[in-house]
Amino acid sequence: MASELTTESYISHHLTNLTCGKTTEGWTCDPYKVDQMGFWAFHVDSLFWSIGLGALFVFVFRKAISKNSDASVAPSGMQNFVEMSIEFVEDNVQSLFGSVKNTLIAPLALTVFVWILLMNLMDLVPVDFLPVLAGHVAYAIAGDAVEWIKGPESLYFKVVPTTDPNITLGMAFGIFILTIYYSITVKGLKAFIAELTLHPFGKYMIPINFVLEMVNFIAKPISLGLRLFGNLYAGEMIFILIALMLFFSSIPIGVLGFGLHLVWALFHILIVALQAFIFMALTIAYLAMAHETEEH
Amino acid sequence: MNINATLIAQAVVMIVFVAICWRYIYPPILSVMKEREKRISDGLEAAKKADDSLEEAKLAFDKELNQAKAEAAEILDKANARASQIVSDAASKAEAEAEKILNSASTTIENETNKAKEELRQQMSDIIIDTTQKILGDEISKEKHEEILKKAAEEL
Repeated sequence: MASELTTESYISHHLTNLTCGKTTEGWTCDPYKVDQMGFWAFHVDSLFWSIGLGALFVFVFRKAISKNSDASVAPSGMQNFVEMSIEFVEDNVQSLFGSVKNTLIAPLALTVFVWILLMNLMDLVPVDFLPVLAGHVAYAIAGDAVEWIKGPESLYFKVVPTTDPNITLGMAFGIFILTIYYSITVKGLKAFIAELTLHPFGKYMIPINFVLEMVNFIAKPISLGLRLFGNLYAGEMIFILIALMLFFSSIPIGVLGFGLHLVWALFHILIVALQAFIFMALTIAYLAMAHETEEH
Repeated sequence: MNINATLIAQAVVMIVFVAICWRYIYPPILSVMKEREKRISDGLEAAKKADDSLEEAKLAFDKELNQAKAEAAEILDKANARASQIVSDAASKAEAEAEKILNSASTTIENETNKAKEELRQQMSDIIIDTTQKILGDEISKEKHEEILKKAAEEL
């Protein structure tokens, strides 16, 4: 692929994950065999950044604790940031959750918020920087040993995990499971089933009720995951398209592209933080709903 | 962009990170923050208390000071009164003494005067008798003319 660089190959290169999976010939990461992998394939790049950034979150927050676990000393530096984010999450949980005591909600919200924020922030790294670097490193290390690495550009590498629907839907899925778990443990299985079947039309229309409530129930995690994915994917796409302006080999357009990059990056900072916040707020809200034992 | 096992892997990874955060990150930080919050509010309260007691001490101090001032003034008044009393006592005593001295002096003077007068009178009558004897010879004697002499002495 791509001995010559075209607009199309440039875009598709940026939108394809490094996928590893099992084919009939064994495990491989060859991009031309993705079709044979089926469901049991992994987006190694997405998972790499997702785990790496999650580990960064854990590392930074743990460090903040070990550095200052003495309440009589004023916090400084990173600890201020850590405590600020915890206070922020705590406020949000308090406002949405009210009196219900569940010690999992706040840590969950904190993890989701900081982790997604970090993953979204990867969008602000110039689009070509890490993929090209990764390609060159892979070619230098494994170029001879692995037959499908034919050059630096044959390795796909997507840097922003949240532009991968697997990542966002995966997190939404985790929250969905928690929602079901708390719905059953807090409300009781009977009440939970009743909630899904006895509204909105009463007990004589149970099948219709079930279909309607099920759509409502399933739509929550899907919309949660797809909202984050859609926003970040679109943002990434625009970065790629702006970067493409340099292909025109014209100085005015190149300068314009540079300016647009700056403007879009500034605007994107807002989206990055906002989407992380929305994901966190909805997570808290859905779990709060799971704790509510209300009667219609 | 296919949906594949990445989704499940990500869900598992998320559960792991949330569990780590739930178990090892969130509670210690929160407890430190709560403890610090408590410390700060305790400190503020203590400061307020100290302020209050300072105010109280100031009031007590003012009260003591005023009382002491009043006492001092009273003592001063008493001392003043006593001093003037002493002065006036001394003055009246001195006056009395002076009067006494004056009186005794004038009495003495009067006595002396009377004495002198008596002496003079005596001498005068002696001189007169002498002279008269010399003139009249022995015709006249003190004993014979006792009565006349007495009269004369009384006229003098």
